[in-house]
Amino acid sequence: MAAGLESYVNRVVSIITADGRNFVGTLKGFDQTINIILDDSHERVYSPTAGVEQVVLGLHIIRGDNIVVVGELDEAVDSRLDLTSLRAEPLSQIVH
Amino acid sequence: MLPLSLLRTAQNHPMLVELKNGETYNGHLVNCDHWMNINLREVICTSRDGDKFWRMPECYIRGSMIKYLRIPDEIIDMVKEDQVQRTRQRDSNRGGRGGSNQRGRGGHNMRGGLGNRGGKNPRNPLALKKSK
Repeated sequence: MAAGLESYVNRVVSIITADGRNFVGTLKGFDQTINIILDDSHERVYSPTAGVEQVVLGLHIIRGDNIVVVGELDEAVDSRLDLTSLRAEPLSQIVH
Repeated sequence: MLPLSLLRTAQNHPMLVELKNGETYNGHLVNCDHWMNINLREVICTSRDGDKFWRMPECYIRGSMIKYLRIPDEIIDMVKEDQVQRTRQRDSNRGGRGGSNQRGRGGHNMRGGLGNRGGKNPRNPLALKKSK
């Protein structure tokens, strides 16, 4: 834990960005400014009227400035989720 | 793996760059630096709403304006190759220096100082010849 993001490398993580988006993918690397390499990534788009849409994106470099939360995804729990029946308000963006 | 090494490996490959203001830039990466400032060529810029487009032969983007970059999947495997090659090179250098060559040189050469340390090529090529 003390190693920061090191313990998340090659694990599936969920990232919330400053514009309120949610990316899920494998953390391949990071640097001192929390720029992050996300492999096999997809975006989860939440809507109050429809199920969660998963948009396949592939390989991403997300700039650290834009990152709010990085969390390890419990794949066992996640695979039990029925995303098509999940309804949620999308997060709003951070206002500076 | 560092994000900026990955970006450097992606030179001459197509990519999509989204800026903090929502604009996206599609183009080939020409160059990048330590601040993630990037040079793109053959660029198509798309407005925030995706309703307006601009084409330009090249552009320069300040790193701090970038939200994220989408790059082709295969680039990540190319970085691995680079890293492996570099590690192998370093190891073989280490092996060479630790070998009989160095021991033979030890006698009078050490008095000359530590000039050769760490370098691939000795600063004084004569020093090597003498010891052989």
